[in-house]
Amino acid sequence: MSKKSAEIVLSKSELQERRRKILYRILPVVSVLLLIIAWVVASGGDQSAFPSPMAVYERFLKFLEKPVQKLSLGQHILASLGRVLAALISSWVLGISFGILIGWNKKANALLGPIFTAFRVVPPLAWIPLITIWFGTGEFPKILVVFIGAVMPVVVNTQAGMSNVDQQYLDVGRIFNANKRQLLLDFAIPSALDAIFAGVRTSASAAWMVVLAAEMLGGKSGVGFLITRGMESGDLPLVLLSMICIGVIGAILAIAMQLIERWVCPWTVKKSN
Amino acid sequence: MDGKKIKLSLEHISQSYILNNKAFDAVQDVNFDVYDNEFLVILGPGYCGKTVLLNILSGLEAPVEGTVRLDGEVITGSDPRIGMVFQKTSLLPWKTVMENVEVGPKMAGVPKEERRKTAQKYIDMVGLQGFEKSYPSQLSGGMKQRVGIARAYTNSPEILLMDEPFGALDAQTRYAMEEEVQKIWQSEKRTIIFVTNNIEEAVYLGDRIVLLSNRPAHVKAIYDIDLPRPRDTVSEEFLRIRKEISDNTDLAL
Repeated sequence: MSKKSAEIVLSKSELQERRRKILYRILPVVSVLLLIIAWVVASGGDQSAFPSPMAVYERFLKFLEKPVQKLSLGQHILASLGRVLAALISSWVLGISFGILIGWNKKANALLGPIFTAFRVVPPLAWIPLITIWFGTGEFPKILVVFIGAVMPVVVNTQAGMSNVDQQYLDVGRIFNANKRQLLLDFAIPSALDAIFAGVRTSASAAWMVVLAAEMLGGKSGVGFLITRGMESGDLPLVLLSMICIGVIGAILAIAMQLIERWVCPWTVKKSN
Repeated sequence: MDGKKIKLSLEHISQSYILNNKAFDAVQDVNFDVYDNEFLVILGPGYCGKTVLLNILSGLEAPVEGTVRLDGEVITGSDPRIGMVFQKTSLLPWKTVMENVEVGPKMAGVPKEERRKTAQKYIDMVGLQGFEKSYPSQLSGGMKQRVGIARAYTNSPEILLMDEPFGALDAQTRYAMEEEVQKIWQSEKRTIIFVTNNIEEAVYLGDRIVLLSNRPAHVKAIYDIDLPRPRDTVSEEFLRIRKEISDNTDLAL
């Protein structure tokens, strides 16, 4: 008797589990479909104010035939990505070094910490006028603005990680007679890698946002430029097409960061978002 | 004790902290000797200052008063001749089992091939062969503590401090690990100072037991345990000693 009812309970919960799994697989598809339907319905009226998905797709096909400013869509995306990459790599090298310095060395923190805190709260776009006056409108000033946006989260997170190293790891180092250099390189920095990577992840999304804003303010290439161009020439399908590219590439960047983290820190298996 | 060489002596060790502007005595005038190659257990109620005492021996803390002598010489700070197995295992999560175990000789600059050989010997000794490339997060509590023991031995210390190493383990794993530590101690003679709050564990493992009082910790009594090893935890003599110590132990606050 009791055995049978136990079986029924089990199969019921199994059934629920299976239903739940199917539901979780369907839900994302449902939301995308709803979004597209809403888009079609909303764009049903005035085509010039809100282009339909079809119009955007047609604009995409047209882009393949006729480049904008002599560059294909892929080349515009690569132009933006190139700036992001240059800014990111320099922000990681400089940001992690500076973060370790002020997170680990209390004197350095007392000396440089307050200045950094003041600089940190100035939004990267606020630098554009000064940077434009100093460096003009070429590649370097754009990369510099992106760098400013990317380096701040790297420094903040690295500093937090380095100033909160778990005492038990340092105790292990001291018990095994690690010298100061070894304490830093073999114990403190590895234990702060989690925090450092949180900064690296944030820097990637920040850089991608800042590069678009920087490109919208001037330049002849990049996805941000395409948005400005679309707005100025009333080519709204181009604007929407660019926005979709921004979303997709931003997501790919986030996934790439996770892969890099898994490669650098194989001991942390993180849940993916 | 005749014929026994004194390895380590604690002389008038006292430690206190300032907590919320009040002096707080953790250890008060502790004196005892540790003989060469003996298995000494420091037994005391919870939060009585046992860990503080070990931190002083390991050089992680300096006492306010008193001296520690190793082979007759005063020592300060951490000394490579004294190793430690930590209470919370304190494995480095970013290192594999092998990298954790070889950390001592690596810090001392021993070449990779040589230190890996030593590390492998002790990984085999604690029964973890096959797990060299695993990360600590992939191991059970008992296995982690085995890594901690192998790590301490690989640095070839003369004295091994163990701070309630099995406190976090379930009863069964704990018995297995106690047996294991005893076997390792018998095959690799070292002086072991083992801290615990478990009376049965103390009587099972110790050549001698230093019984500490409630905080501030001072030595209440020292027991010589002459039972043959491995000990039978339900023999009359074992239970008699256990009861004697238990009756003399302060209740934890």
